[in-house]
Amino acid sequence: MTNTGVNTTRPPLGLALRSLLRSDFLVLLNSKTSLFLSILLPIVILVANTVGKGQSRLGGSSLVIGLALTLGLLTSGLFGYTLALAHDRDVGVLQRLRITPAPTWMIMTSRVLVQVATNLLASVIVVIVGAIAYGLTLSPGQYLLAIAVSLLGAAVFLSIGQAVVGLVQSTSAINAISRVLMILLLLLGLLGGTGILGDTMKTIAAWSPVGALMTLFADTLNASSWSGQDTNALLACIGYVTVCATIGVRWFRWNSR
Amino acid sequence: MTSEVNEPGSPPVLEVSQLRVAYDGRTVVDGVSFRIQRGEIFGLLGPNGAGKTSTLSAIEGLVRPAWGDLLVDGLDVEQQPLAVKALLGVQLQSSSFQAELSIQEIARLYAGLYGVKLSKDQVRDSMRTVGLADELGKKFKQLSGGQQQRLALFIATIHNPLLLLLDEPTAGLDPQSRRGLWRRIEELRSEGNSILLTTHSMEEAQAVCDRVAIIDHGILLTEGRPSELINKHKDDPRVLSVAHGAPTLEDVFIGLTGSEIRD
Ligand SMILES: Nc1ncnc2c1ncn2[C@@H]1O[C@H](COP(=O)(O)OP(=O)(O)OP(=O)(O)O)[C@@H](O)[C@H]1O
Ligand SMILES: [Mg+2]
Repeated sequence: MTNTGVNTTRPPLGLALRSLLRSDFLVLLNSKTSLFLSILLPIVILVANTVGKGQSRLGGSSLVIGLALTLGLLTSGLFGYTLALAHDRDVGVLQRLRITPAPTWMIMTSRVLVQVATNLLASVIVVIVGAIAYGLTLSPGQYLLAIAVSLLGAAVFLSIGQAVVGLVQSTSAINAISRVLMILLLLLGLLGGTGILGDTMKTIAAWSPVGALMTLFADTLNASSWSGQDTNALLACIGYVTVCATIGVRWFRWNSR
Repeated sequence: MTSEVNEPGSPPVLEVSQLRVAYDGRTVVDGVSFRIQRGEIFGLLGPNGAGKTSTLSAIEGLVRPAWGDLLVDGLDVEQQPLAVKALLGVQLQSSSFQAELSIQEIARLYAGLYGVKLSKDQVRDSMRTVGLADELGKKFKQLSGGQQQRLALFIATIHNPLLLLLDEPTAGLDPQSRRGLWRRIEELRSEGNSILLTTHSMEEAQAVCDRVAIIDHGILLTEGRPSELINKHKDDPRVLSVAHGAPTLEDVFIGLTGSEIRD
């Protein structure tokens, strides 16, 4: 290793990316919270609802599965990913990575890819468990569509999280903001969507990240035909991703001082 | 000791010219210039807050200089950042690795990032040379301070870099490990690597450095071989006033940088 004279060649990018992906995956696997948030929590919601006969209260099995999927994506994106990134910035893990010849986009991309892959895997599991628990039969096309919507959802919440880490420096502030944001988004999407807060709130809710995703998930699982509401939801999601990711990348700082 | 062993025509390994580093408008490194040749060990000495780490950060690409030129092996740090980073091995003043990864996984990650393919067995073998073979399964936080330093140095040298930047590499090491590190540094030099290190130990500077520079308040005060510096400043009244007997490198250091304690 160190007897071939001084090394002056550029390292290959493929090897660097593979090494990053492997280590980011191991990090995720070793962190119990993120696994709990992305897989266990949604399943707990599914199971809790079959036990409590909550179908009527929450409005049908597709809605419950949609909620479980959305919640898994929301918590793991806005909580798991965001806090891990803030922490690594705080303690200098990112600085250490940044002095290697790996391009900075690659360091970020690897983290995001691993997170998205975990989210998709979690979504597949949740849909399967949900279908079994509620006796739904889904076509392969519906599974594919559910995965596609999950991908969109993962992108939405990771971008929102990235924007928070980009705009806020302190880890404890990020922690607090993420919690509040999570609760707000959930309340808005769920309560607003029921119409008990009035028609204006209902419209806002439909365009909110949680509301838009719940619409898309419900329509996918019900095999409803594509509606204007779905188009709006899709547009809303694309909008959130574009704006938040831009903010999150543009203002992101690698060090905490 | 050998210095200036450059092949004719090849650029210095490091050339720092008129470097200025500022944080939020406050200048902490001001017009610093020096060069390091191939196979040379260069020591940067200075009190706390003098600007040593900031100088290294600029070379590492962690902070953008407000002014000045930085060339590593003739490559501009700002224009070819990734090519420069591939030439550098870095041990930061305080290292931080992913808390969830084992030592073995950390070593494999950084090997890959620097383009070195290491199997698990190869990692184990090379970890034996730095006395960490029994700690492979541990997390970074579970290592002792000295073991953490050894791991950081191991990772800094994993790709046999042209220029090694070591920020207080022997801080917190016992005398045995310190001697071990000095030996390792000299080994690396004999393989053709150049080393820029910072230290607060005058003994260390004299033992391993071919040349040293003293920096304070961001300004480079003097530079030369340790023996040259003593000679050059031995009649300076500030040095004489702090010397007990014949002036030492430490007397020169305190004479030039003052005796008050820095925050
Ligand atoms: N990221 C930063 N933001 C603002 N100020 C900084 C930053 N890093 C360092 N400083 C300031 O710059 C000055 C030089 O710091 P630097 O870390 O370069 O000193 P040093 O010579 O390495 O000191 P030490 O021996 O204590 O490590 C100090 O006054 C420090 O407070
Ligand atoms: Mg320092």
